[in-house]
Amino acid sequence: MAALDSGGESKSHARGGKKHKKKRRLSIRIDMTPMVDVAFLLLTFFMLTTYFSKPQTMELNLPKDQSPIEVAESNLMTLRVASDGAIFWNIGTEPAHRVEMKELRKFLEDKNKENPKLITLLKVDRDGKYSMMIKLMDEIAIAKVTRFSLAPMNEYDKRQIQKARAS
Amino acid sequence: MPKIKKKRLGFKIDMTPMVDVAMLLLTFFMMTTQFRPDEATAIELPASHAPFKMPETDVMIVTVNREGRTFLGVDSQRLRAQLFGEGNKLKPAVEVDRKQLHDLLIQARISNPKLRTLVKGDKDAPFGPVEDILDILRQVNITRFNLVTEMDKS
Repeated sequence: MAALDSGGESKSHARGGKKHKKKRRLSIRIDMTPMVDVAFLLLTFFMLTTYFSKPQTMELNLPKDQSPIEVAESNLMTLRVASDGAIFWNIGTEPAHRVEMKELRKFLEDKNKENPKLITLLKVDRDGKYSMMIKLMDEIAIAKVTRFSLAPMNEYDKRQIQKARAS
Repeated sequence: MPKIKKKRLGFKIDMTPMVDVAMLLLTFFMMTTQFRPDEATAIELPASHAPFKMPETDVMIVTVNREGRTFLGVDSQRLRAQLFGEGNKLKPAVEVDRKQLHDLLIQARISNPKLRTLVKGDKDAPFGPVEDILDILRQVNITRFNLVTEMDKS
């Protein structure tokens, strides 16, 4: 039924048309070309507009009020992200050290193994990139660090970063 | 001349299987397609390994584009009309400043307490505006929200 007639045989078709009809009513030929054309058009349309990868989301729970929670200095690790994306870490009030993005996952895992009570504080520079925050939070999630918090970066943190850069 | 032409061109190909497959694909794509929801601004999502799928209904989306401008969008048209006025009913999201965002978030939560908050920031967006938004969310007592990311392929 859906056979397509290529151009050449239309003549013979036209010639035999009358005879055919007289003989039998059964074999009717419908030219399906336009329908198939439309079908392909729709097919390409749907293939191009469809998208399969739905965005993922990262769930975040922030504490309700800012009632300060007291943490022992040795249990607090601060991760600071400078505006150019450089990452610095320190524990308590120790001077900050630089850590590379690639090593971060392993680093976080090690530090948390060393001290299971460790709390991570993430501070991102206002002029930094949003994607840095996502990347770091992703690394933190992958390293299975559940106790972490976000904090705004202040002047003190900036000074710490500068000190770490200088040394 | 006509005789030669006839000999050469008179052939038939049975297109049935091809058309069958095409129709099958067509129905498949028609059934599974989901159109990209329209966006106020083009957003390039950052990548993460977060496992949750983005919810589709009862959401309000705070968008930060790459210049750091903030947009607020909700998924129901009725709520949009209520929050942003009749004229903005058909817009997916409306640009808001910080003060407005604070009030609109409260209003939206009053009209639909089930609303979930999504923060959708561009990969290259500066962190400053995002930090402000997180601050506003804390102020209006939205402590649970989601950050929209793209699946990390690596």
